Amino acid sequence: MKHLNIMFLVLLSLFISPKILAQEIYQTNQVITTFFSTTPIEDIKAVSNSGASILNTETGEILFQIRTRSFQFRKALMQEHFNENYLESEKHPFSSFKGRILDKINFGKDGEYQVKCSGNLIIHGVGRKREILLTIQVKNGQISIKSQFDVACKDHDIKIPKILWENIAEVISVEVNVNYQKLTNE
Amino acid sequence: MNKFFFCLLLISTFSVCAQDMDSIMQNLDSGAEREFVQATFKSPRLVLLQTNETQNKGDLAFWIGHRFGDIGGEFGGSHTLFGLDVATDLYIGFDYGITDRMTIGVGRSKFNESYNLLAKYKLLRQHEFMPVSVTLFGQSNWITRKAFNNNEFPSQNDRTSHFFQATVAKKFSPSFSLMLSPGYLFRAQPQDPQEMQNLFSVGIGGRLKIYKRFSLIADYTLVNGLGRSKDLNTEYYNPLGIGLEIETGGHVFSLNFQNSSYIIENNFIPNTQKSWEDGGVRFGFAISRNFNLAGR
Repeated sequence: MKHLNIMFLVLLSLFISPKILAQEIYQTNQVITTFFSTTPIEDIKAVSNSGASILNTETGEILFQIRTRSFQFRKALMQEHFNENYLESEKHPFSSFKGRILDKINFGKDGEYQVKCSGNLIIHGVGRKREILLTIQVKNGQISIKSQFDVACKDHDIKIPKILWENIAEVISVEVNVNYQKLTNE
Repeated sequence: MNKFFFCLLLISTFSVCAQDMDSIMQNLDSGAEREFVQATFKSPRLVLLQTNETQNKGDLAFWIGHRFGDIGGEFGGSHTLFGLDVATDLYIGFDYGITDRMTIGVGRSKFNESYNLLAKYKLLRQHEFMPVSVTLFGQSNWITRKAFNNNEFPSQNDRTSHFFQATVAKKFSPSFSLMLSPGYLFRAQPQDPQEMQNLFSVGIGGRLKIYKRFSLIADYTLVNGLGRSKDLNTEYYNPLGIGLEIETGGHVFSLNFQNSSYIIENNFIPNTQKSWEDGGVRFGFAISRNFNLAGR
């Protein structure tokens, strides 16, 4: 009888849990990430629109992964230097964030929620524990997230040569825009 | 017993969940675009030879090259401050990127008061499934100085030379790149009357990053022994250049030593009469500055 109970539980978990999990996961590979470096001499802006993100609304887990090479600059040479000298994209092809939403919110209910999210931000191969504010919008079952935060170059071991200090900001402002799609069972 | 299994069950469910998140992430990223290897070399020129690099679309590069006189030997030493009093060649040129793969350029050399036109095309670009980059290069040169004697240049055509080269380059790691460049030079009227109109060359070059913005660069061009006549009265040498390349934002500086007195291929491939062994080495430098004309 005991064995039967366990068997039943195992079977139940096999059939049900993937379904439940699938229903709780939202994903996209069109995360729009923009960063700005502002100095009196030069303003630099770059955009990536092919970042990947996954959100688990049940556990609050949230993952981001952005290819360094996907950032587009206005000046091609600047883009090359960004990859070659600063982010070293051949050694570190991705920037990522792996974290958890700390506040409990009801994703089933329409509205705008300001939440805190804590996790590990990895840029240039250097990880930092961060708490980042997110604005989550739920509308007719569609989930979107907006966030703005700062990244200090020296926190991630990104070295700016002295003669370019005036051109590149020490603190870079980052904006992230995500529109999730529900992961459907195939 | 029951509790133990129940715990196991919970753990397994969690691990399935964690795995799921990571595997979903992998699937999401698999649609990434093809990434071409960039910056095999930092500049369109290494020490003497052209690299596989071209200008990006809408970029204009201003390139200045300078070659001083012999450091040692008959023409060097303290009388010329080891060659610094002398300028054997000067080059001022502009390269412009019509597309990301096609660059055209124009320049002027002090040697023979010559003007040149060049075109460069990136035929193949290294990526995940393409092991090398291949760039085609063509350059025509026109000598404008006065003829030394009446029959030196019987017609305008005799003042021209044309050089063609294919550069096969590979970036092995972020800090190490190599290239191999077979070339062919046609001179309507070789300056040395004993020489033939056709001249073949094979160039080898490399770049080794020693510090973030500092690289060692070197190139060697094999000219002798590729069908060139062996019994010429004048002795010609294979050009060898070694240098240090410094990159600072939009500028690339190169400080170098070479046995060739001249800067462009049409001049240094046939006319290198100095050797590293007898003090014919000279100091040289190059500065390239990049301008972005068309905002993308």
